[in-house]
Amino acid sequence: MNYAIQVEQLRKSYGNRTVLKGLNFNVEKGEIFALLGVNGAGKTTTFECIEGLRKYDSGKITINGKMGIQLQAASLPENMKAMEAINLFAKWNKVSVDPSMLTALGIDQLAKKQYREMSTGQKQRLHLALALVRDPEIIFLDEPTAGLDVEGRLDLHEQIRKLKAQGKTIILASHDMAEVEALCDRIGILRDGMIAFIGTPEELTEELGERYSIEIRTERGVDHLECDDIADTMLVQLEKYKQQQIRVLDIKIDRGTLEQHFIDISKGVEA
Amino acid sequence: MSAFLYGLALQWKLDIRSKAMLITCYLIPLVFYVFIGGIFTSLTPESKDTMIQGMSIFGVSMGALVGFPSELMEVYSSSIKKVYKANGVSIMSGVLIHFLSSFIHLFLMSMIIFVTAPFIFDSALPSNLPAYFGTLIVFIATTLSIGCIFGLLLKDQAKLTMFSQIAFMPSIMLSGIMFPVKLLPNALIYIGKIFPASWAFEATTSDKFNLLLWLPMIAILLISFAICAFLLSKKRKD
Repeated sequence: MNYAIQVEQLRKSYGNRTVLKGLNFNVEKGEIFALLGVNGAGKTTTFECIEGLRKYDSGKITINGKMGIQLQAASLPENMKAMEAINLFAKWNKVSVDPSMLTALGIDQLAKKQYREMSTGQKQRLHLALALVRDPEIIFLDEPTAGLDVEGRLDLHEQIRKLKAQGKTIILASHDMAEVEALCDRIGILRDGMIAFIGTPEELTEELGERYSIEIRTERGVDHLECDDIADTMLVQLEKYKQQQIRVLDIKIDRGTLEQHFIDISKGVEA
Repeated sequence: MSAFLYGLALQWKLDIRSKAMLITCYLIPLVFYVFIGGIFTSLTPESKDTMIQGMSIFGVSMGALVGFPSELMEVYSSSIKKVYKANGVSIMSGVLIHFLSSFIHLFLMSMIIFVTAPFIFDSALPSNLPAYFGTLIVFIATTLSIGCIFGLLLKDQAKLTMFSQIAFMPSIMLSGIMFPVKLLPNALIYIGKIFPASWAFEATTSDKFNLLLWLPMIAILLISFAICAFLLSKKRKD
């Protein structure tokens, strides 16, 4: 297989607490891969071990390509200007800055703005530009749209899709399931330091089966039901209302979302 | 090398934009120099002879022990240090850039005092200029190296302020720049000798160059560098 990243039996402990218990997964070249997990599941530790920012106890990490790492908030001095940061990163990496990349991300308009004066969206754009300065093949994005408004989020999604179209491999951590569903080719869910699921968003839905949430409003109140088969459940429930002569006012049916599946997997709920 | 020089020039500019550095490296030392200089020279006219040395030592101590450590702490206790790692830059070079940038600022502040004091207060220039400048360079480096330990060791602003003041206050009160050390009890004179400011004041006010007055400062500098290297190696392993 054509892997950009291979993680084998990755283990990491902080004191007596084992955070990663033999993690195994691969990221294919050119795909957008999301690493998910509840807080404390080990996402950041996994990222930092792969990025080379943190030492791990045992295991093997193979990286096939140049990495670009998107910074988190507060990773730059407050009084540093956008272009100063870009030029510093370019000097450190011994590369020249691609003006078209700066224009695409709107950094040329922020050039003289200090970090503290930037909005969250502008900071995220700058962080992405800094990750791209060295023209990496693999890009790490840690919650890239955190704190962005809808417009900023869509804008950044567009940039990420463009990077994928250029053949870049993107690995991201996110809490936003809609984002993951819209952007990612595959997802890996971390639970208790292990990969609990790996596959496409569609495979995740299939693995857990179609689950529906039904909300029935009657003259006596609201009933919530969860089921795999709408027809059977509705027939039984409506028959019950008919026998008890309860008038049904409204019915809402929701298909299970990726978010719900993520929560189920994260908590170890069986399908 | 080009990246290092760009980083140094950029850090120098960032320090000018930093209110904390501007206040501790320039504003407080120079305001203190103007006010206290005026008071001292009218109360004791002979203080004109040591005005340049005393005020420079005060300013350097303020910038290196109070301003510099908090700038360093901001970098090394935050995620900024990950930026260095992520770009393959050694964290040692980050410290060196901060150190050199602050060194230049403190030297410039001392130069402002050196150039203006004869005009404003009719102060005497140091009698041995090479010895004065040599001592000033060694003193700035030594004091910054102590500040470096605080900046790398501490992660809490309140603790840092306490440690900075523990080093700063005796440096000023016991070094002879505020009043002659001979007026102090012996115990305080000996305590004063722990701080580089005492040796620097004696060396810069001496007519002749005396290497023995530099040796304690150089010893403190080397010990501080060794401690900083140890702290950085610990941070690298984190």
